[in-house]
Amino acid sequence: MPASWAPGVCAGLAASAIGHIVYVPDNPLSQLLAGLSRDYPHISQTLATREEEAVGIASGLYLGGVRPAVLMQSSGLGNCANAIGSLLVAYQIPVVFVMSMRGDAGEWNWAQVPMGRAIEPILDSFGVPHATVDRPEEAESIVRALCETAFSARVPAACLLPRRLTTGE
Amino acid sequence: MTRADATACLMRRLRDHAVVVSLGHPAYDLYVAGDRAENFYTWGSMGLTCSIALGLAMARPDRRVVAIDGDGSLLMNLGTLATIGSRRPPNLLVVVWDNQAYGTTGGQPTATARGADLAGAAAAMGLESITTRTADEFDRALDQAEARRRTTAIVVKVDESAPQGRPPLDCVFIKQRFMAALGVPEDATRGQAI
Repeated sequence: MPASWAPGVCAGLAASAIGHIVYVPDNPLSQLLAGLSRDYPHISQTLATREEEAVGIASGLYLGGVRPAVLMQSSGLGNCANAIGSLLVAYQIPVVFVMSMRGDAGEWNWAQVPMGRAIEPILDSFGVPHATVDRPEEAESIVRALCETAFSARVPAACLLPRRLTTGE
Repeated sequence: MTRADATACLMRRLRDHAVVVSLGHPAYDLYVAGDRAENFYTWGSMGLTCSIALGLAMARPDRRVVAIDGDGSLLMNLGTLATIGSRRPPNLLVVVWDNQAYGTTGGQPTATARGADLAGAAAAMGLESITTRTADEFDRALDQAEARRRTTAIVVKVDESAPQGRPPLDCVFIKQRFMAALGVPEDATRGQAI
């Protein structure tokens, strides 16, 4: 039984004409990948080896006329910071990120906390709009709004899924 | 064969190919060999050339896509060969200028100077691959890649040469010209009735 937030995120991506998902796996994201496969099989999925690579693949998809989204754990933001700056922001390439958070409230693994604290400051330093889904019922509208900003203004944008949401704690 | 010679050799064979090129000297040489709207010059994101080309090849199975990478750049993101090997878009050709050095940053040796085999890595990930050492070998490898229509990597051993020019610095211009040439102009480049 998928968590209630997942169908909303999937619906938001589909309603925004996302055509291809590039992802590096994470536990909560499996629910999105399964939901997308089941309910929106026309959206392709590509597994990347690393988040920076995912940003590159997503950029190529956009250049070819396909709207891309990148799904990853927030810790991967550090692995793709230069690609966000020197590719997405520099070329105004819109890629929508959906990030499952590590290191935020409820984190049990101290090693994940420093990067977790850095996520929003990093996004802010690049001028990347972001929003956090605090309640399942707002998931679809937040994703749709971020996609609207991304593809109209041609900026990357990030939807953050906190642990309180994805773990139900 | 210098990298500039090899680039000119490749340029003579391009028709409507979409080309994604690595930053620095590979991009400079491509610009000098022939600036065209279908060239996507990167100015940063070192290592992502093949990944961008993979995304493009998947988005546009109707277009032939060429990635022009360098040995140092590809070594930054070797994992992408595994992803390319798992998707294997038949319209994707990877060309690697292997001068065994970080040519743009001062000529420091890369791991290929000590035997790292990029064509071997590509083959291990499921791509067709070959290493070429002369202009004739490179030409033949391009013929074979064209005829085979399978995802191919050609690692071209080249000598460093001083670039004679460089592409436009305006990243958004590069992107918009490229997308228009591929028939997918950005909405923001077109006016509309209200």
